[in-house]
Amino acid sequence: MKTIALVGNPNCGKTTLFNQLTGTTAYVGNWPGVTVEKKEGLFNGMRILDLPGIYSLSPYSPEEKVTRRYILDEQPDLIIDVIDSTNLERSLYLTTQLVELGRPMILALNMTDLLEKTGITIDVKKLSLMTGCPVVQLSASKGLGMEAFSKEVARSQQEPNLPSCPLFSNVVEKYISTIIEDDYLHKLPFGRPMRWAAIKLIEDDEFFLSSMPEVPQSTMKVVEQARAALTITYNDDPEAVIIDQRYKVAEKIRCACQTKIEQQDHFSFDRIATSRFGAIPLFVLVMALVFYLSIQVVGGMTTSLISFFFQFIQEHLASYLHSLGVIPLLNGLLVKGIISGVGSVLTFVPQLFVLFLLLSILEDCGYMARIAFIMDRIMRTIGLSGKSIIPMVIGTGCSVPAIMCSRTIEHQKQRELTVVVTPFIPCGAKMPTFALFIGFFFPDKWYIAPLIYFLGILAVIFTGLLSQKLDKHKEKNTFILELPRYQVPTIKNVWLQTKERIMGFIHKAGTIILLASALIYVLQSFSFTFSPVEPQFSILAQIGRVIAPIFKPLGFGTWQATVALLTGIAAKESIVSTLTVTMGTASIGTLFDGASAIAFMAFVLLSFPCVAAQSAMFKELDGNKIKFLKAICYQFVLAYAVALVLHVIFLEVL
Amino acid sequence: MNKTLALLPIGNSGVVEGVNAPKALKRRLMDMGFTRGIPVKVVKVAPLGDPLEVEIRGYNLCLRKEEAKIITLRQE
Repeated sequence: MKTIALVGNPNCGKTTLFNQLTGTTAYVGNWPGVTVEKKEGLFNGMRILDLPGIYSLSPYSPEEKVTRRYILDEQPDLIIDVIDSTNLERSLYLTTQLVELGRPMILALNMTDLLEKTGITIDVKKLSLMTGCPVVQLSASKGLGMEAFSKEVARSQQEPNLPSCPLFSNVVEKYISTIIEDDYLHKLPFGRPMRWAAIKLIEDDEFFLSSMPEVPQSTMKVVEQARAALTITYNDDPEAVIIDQRYKVAEKIRCACQTKIEQQDHFSFDRIATSRFGAIPLFVLVMALVFYLSIQVVGGMTTSLISFFFQFIQEHLASYLHSLGVIPLLNGLLVKGIISGVGSVLTFVPQLFVLFLLLSILEDCGYMARIAFIMDRIMRTIGLSGKSIIPMVIGTGCSVPAIMCSRTIEHQKQRELTVVVTPFIPCGAKMPTFALFIGFFFPDKWYIAPLIYFLGILAVIFTGLLSQKLDKHKEKNTFILELPRYQVPTIKNVWLQTKERIMGFIHKAGTIILLASALIYVLQSFSFTFSPVEPQFSILAQIGRVIAPIFKPLGFGTWQATVALLTGIAAKESIVSTLTVTMGTASIGTLFDGASAIAFMAFVLLSFPCVAAQSAMFKELDGNKIKFLKAICYQFVLAYAVALVLHVIFLEVL
Repeated sequence: MNKTLALLPIGNSGVVEGVNAPKALKRRLMDMGFTRGIPVKVVKVAPLGDPLEVEIRGYNLCLRKEEAKIITLRQE
């Protein structure tokens, strides 16, 4: 099967194009670095790949390495160079590198719908002539130009065209040809074109050198001579000379193909969003509004309604099944186990829907990168970067995508720290637990819920400061981030993302939660000898009791709480469903008091996340078992310590 | 002492002379477009005084003062 690879700058719309072509709904957002891993799909019988965005073929952060490794090692049959039409010059800089790989290539001029607004016109014919590639104009988000694109792809299958390499200045070209004459360059493995290899040798590109057969002394001598001569001629190091040459080519093409009418600066949202006094209050306000709208307004309206609905079903179904003569065990399994367990989780669908909706609007409009911009100074004091705030905001929805998008953080230590602290931000699945406890124990204390979030943030700060203290050799960190244009979020994008996430939640309720609820019900109905017993003598109770003493000091050393925490490892939503199933008709007040409720919430908040998030953590910690175990242990110990302290304090206070 | 991007007042423009940084960082900044002779404008400073937002090659980029310090500008 033929393979097509989508390559381009971050945030130029590769994933949107990918979704258009394959009809899938991969995750799209408006900040650089949404895609951190390659994604595969099918398009007209060909394999199509969406690769993480890159600015250059010399990678800097891990997700960029994915792209480079892929293009070099897998040799796609066709490269689609996706270009942000409103940012032609920098896009073409990457193009000058891609053409050297000697693969058939098409330029996809994306976002052409924005050209008019920005006063830009592009001469497509000229662009095609100057780059030697077919050019297609399209707008992936609006679905414009897709037909022409498909045609061009089909045509290039029949007669693949090889793009022409851009020519640099005479001096540079002279040295490139001297190196190409060397014998070594003629014996390179497949997929390493000579001109490209020669340039890499001039640049002294370590990634390249490590992937090549050893360069003989004689060749090295020629290269060294060229490097020395270029250094003298241009008064800069050879790598910089090549970059400069590439940008000169990009500039030349841009000047020839693009005309721009300067637009007047009109009032923009950005003035407030990043203003000196308004920016941080606005950020706090936006986040507060997101939670207020979802949890308070929508949650408040729907929660009691839905739980009433499920109670209604439970009662009627139970008596109906009873009248049919269904055995009590089956009746209980269905009504008290499955329906009550799944129902307790489904209650949260409306408010999570609104939360996911608002988060995807934030992601789509371009505000996310500004949050990173305004928060960088604060994040730096705790050893993180502005980019770390993006995972944390997304983490209020779900930790799994949040942990994954920490990959765009270039510095390893910052990245690892972000991975460890992101789960401290309460995700949507933990919300039911907090709602259950706050609703029962502190219905009139409005400050408890914000306190939980505050506790999560405190844990992040504490961990950051601690790791800075422990870090002996501090390395210098950098923060370089492109600020994308603001855009009105497209309904389609926002809807797709929200749907995807909420369906994920509902899917979990229908699978993991359903199974867990059924299993919990069975385990608490039988003893080890498989005779039906009261719950307190059941298998579940006995297992719970073995572990429960660990949680005694925290105030919730009951087998029910222990089992709930255990099932919470599979999915945090099942903490509530397990408690609901194991308590039966009893009230939660029989298991907890105010102080232990707070301790329990703190423990759920801070202890290690669900399996899905754990595996994301493991992956983003480079699959390093020791680092992963350390992170998990740290989260557990911190959760235990904080819960213990809070329990002691609140025993006094309450 | 050479003039650097970090010293440029908000709203002002300068012309890049060079990037004085270790290999990887220099490469990154140049990949983003900071090559010799290119005009760059400081658009704004973040609320807490750092990082900066600059305009270069028709797009906006955010970088810390620390990084702006290593980008030298042409003497006027």
